[in-house]
Amino acid sequence: MVERLPNRCVFLLALLLACGPASLATAAEPLEAAVKATFLYKFIAFVSWPQSAFAADGPFRICVAGPDPFGELLDRAVAGQSAGGRPIELWRRPQFDRGAGCHLLYGTGSQDGLRGEPVLTVSDADAPGGPMAGAVVTFVLQDDRVRFAIDASAARDNHLGISSKLMSLAVRQ
Amino acid sequence: MTDLAGLWRHTPRLTVLAMAVLLIAGGMMALASETAYREEKVGDVEVQTRILAATVTAALSFNDRTTAGEYLTALSANPEFEAAGVYDGSGGLFATYTAPGMQPVPPVAESPGHHFDDDTLTVSVPVTQDGHRIGSVSLRTELEPFARRAERYVGMALLLAMTVLIVLVLGAAQAALARANRDLAERARDLSGANQALNAEIAERERVEAALRQSQKMEAMGQLTGGIAHDFNNLLQALSSCLQLVGRRAKEPSIQPLLETGQQAIDRGAKLVQQLMAFARHQTLRPEPMDVRDRLLGMADLLTRAIRADITLETSVEPGLWPVEVDPTQFELAILNLTVNARDAMPDGGRLRIIACNRPAEGKGADLVQVTVSDTGTGMEDEVKARVFEPFFTTKEVGKGSGLGLAQVYGFTRQSSGRVEIDSAPGRGTAVSLFLPRTAKPVVAPAGERASDTARTSGRRLLLVEDDPIVGSMVAAALDEIGYAVLRAANAEEALELLSDVKLRIDILFSDVVMPGRMNGVDLAHAARRLRPGLPVVLTTGYSEDVARIEGVRVLPKPYRVGTLAELLDVALAADGAAHPAA
Repeated sequence: MVERLPNRCVFLLALLLACGPASLATAAEPLEAAVKATFLYKFIAFVSWPQSAFAADGPFRICVAGPDPFGELLDRAVAGQSAGGRPIELWRRPQFDRGAGCHLLYGTGSQDGLRGEPVLTVSDADAPGGPMAGAVVTFVLQDDRVRFAIDASAARDNHLGISSKLMSLAVRQ
Repeated sequence: MTDLAGLWRHTPRLTVLAMAVLLIAGGMMALASETAYREEKVGDVEVQTRILAATVTAALSFNDRTTAGEYLTALSANPEFEAAGVYDGSGGLFATYTAPGMQPVPPVAESPGHHFDDDTLTVSVPVTQDGHRIGSVSLRTELEPFARRAERYVGMALLLAMTVLIVLVLGAAQAALARANRDLAERARDLSGANQALNAEIAERERVEAALRQSQKMEAMGQLTGGIAHDFNNLLQALSSCLQLVGRRAKEPSIQPLLETGQQAIDRGAKLVQQLMAFARHQTLRPEPMDVRDRLLGMADLLTRAIRADITLETSVEPGLWPVEVDPTQFELAILNLTVNARDAMPDGGRLRIIACNRPAEGKGADLVQVTVSDTGTGMEDEVKARVFEPFFTTKEVGKGSGLGLAQVYGFTRQSSGRVEIDSAPGRGTAVSLFLPRTAKPVVAPAGERASDTARTSGRRLLLVEDDPIVGSMVAAALDEIGYAVLRAANAEEALELLSDVKLRIDILFSDVVMPGRMNGVDLAHAARRLRPGLPVVLTTGYSEDVARIEGVRVLPKPYRVGTLAELLDVALAADGAAHPAA
């Protein structure tokens, strides 16, 4: 039965299995979304924000702007997790403006308003709305695997420090 | 020196001890080094593994097997790494690297830590992200092969090898030294033995050579003297014949005394030649089987007179002495010669010993009879001893010895197939031994009894003055035979002493004219006539011109026969004795 599945599905399934609790989906799309949701959370460990980005004892906010491709997957991915000792908050809004307090933002389309803010902007090359221009991280599919590209200059503009470990995983654009 | 030698003796033991200590130390060092090496290796590999774990954090987080694989593949730069694996949070194999030909890592994660298996070290460390364990990394490295590790101990191994080598070399050297010492000692012993043998041989050879030289010398001298004596004998014979012819033809009476003198000189020459012949062994011997014992006993009186009063004579003859075949006259002359020499060697008196004994054959030699004449006199040096048998060799004053006495002994013995040995040292006296071969022929009893016509002269006391002991002894013996009691004096002084003793009865004085000392026979005759007027005096001389005409003194020319002497003595006794019966 497994052999009959498409290659991509098999691979994703394997990925999900490897990623533990996040891999519960059974279809290709949700699987991909689940991987991306997990990645969103995992990016946190490899990125450093300026101290000014956080309020004292404030949470770490993950914002999803516009259409939410993750749904509950993201909630599950961050459930019980923390980011550098801070609790994680999930915000979902159509649009986030400057000073909204986001630390990581997933969105599509134009999010120019956040340029220069200490926000890790994440987009998706295959998003229905087109990738976010100027996003620091952009999900891409490569060899049927979810990979990501990192815009180093955008990260610099946003005062973010990207771990070289993460950089080494990024695909060249 | 002995301490050092003792230390050297202990060297092999000490070296073995040192080697054992070195071995133990080396082993401990190797063990410590091995442990240190392993600990260090674990530390090294753990650091590598931790770096790897840190490196693959992101790849593990983002399921990037490719990147994780790339990281692992980077390990191939170090050939020590045999295999490595990244395991995900659930323990499954996430990425792996295996060096060519090596065993891959196990498919399931190992617990953190390290373990050694057969020259390999596996270190497993967890991969953590924000304090969460998201997987683990295992790295297996080959330990340096034992050979390679051993190479690092090559210095120590070399040291050990050197130590062993030193021990072996020392042991071998010690053994070789001991062996060499033994060989050397043995060789030294051999050498010393050979040296001794050589020395003995040299001494023996020298002795033999000396004997040979002496023998050759004596032989040569014998031939020389023999030749000369023979020629002289002929000359003397010719001369004697000439004189006799002259005597027959010469009518002049005054020529007779001259002829007489010449004849006397010829006789003296003939006597000398006779002695030379004796030495040269050319004399005519009339050997006959004879008993040495009888001869010696028969000579006892003669010998007693030949020696002085301060010399005691001991004669010792072995019972059952073998007979010898020699010329008895020459034998007696030889014994007399030896006795005279012995007497002269003892100016202060001493003991003269004549020993005769049997000498059974030794080895191939013949049975011999040994006759030894020994004295307690001055003895002689080796140089003298070597020459005593040479004719005319003498140590006596001029005129006291002819130097032919021992030559006669030598010649007689050699001609009788015997030999002479002389043993002497200064101060130890002299012993001359004659070795005469034993004869199997029976001894014939001495033919002819001595003349027993002693009645006439029986009891007459005669003072004989003669410096020559041989002549004196001979004459004394002859006078003794014809019945005289003979008193002897060697010179005029001795004679005067006896004559001065008024209690001593002396019937007649018979003296030689030529004598050593202040007084000669003529002076003695005058003195005697003064001391004992009417004492019959008979002088004898070879030189008749020396004798002055003295009243009542008769002169007997030399050489004379015993019969002539006896007649003259009778005449003198009859004339003077009758004239002075009181004397």
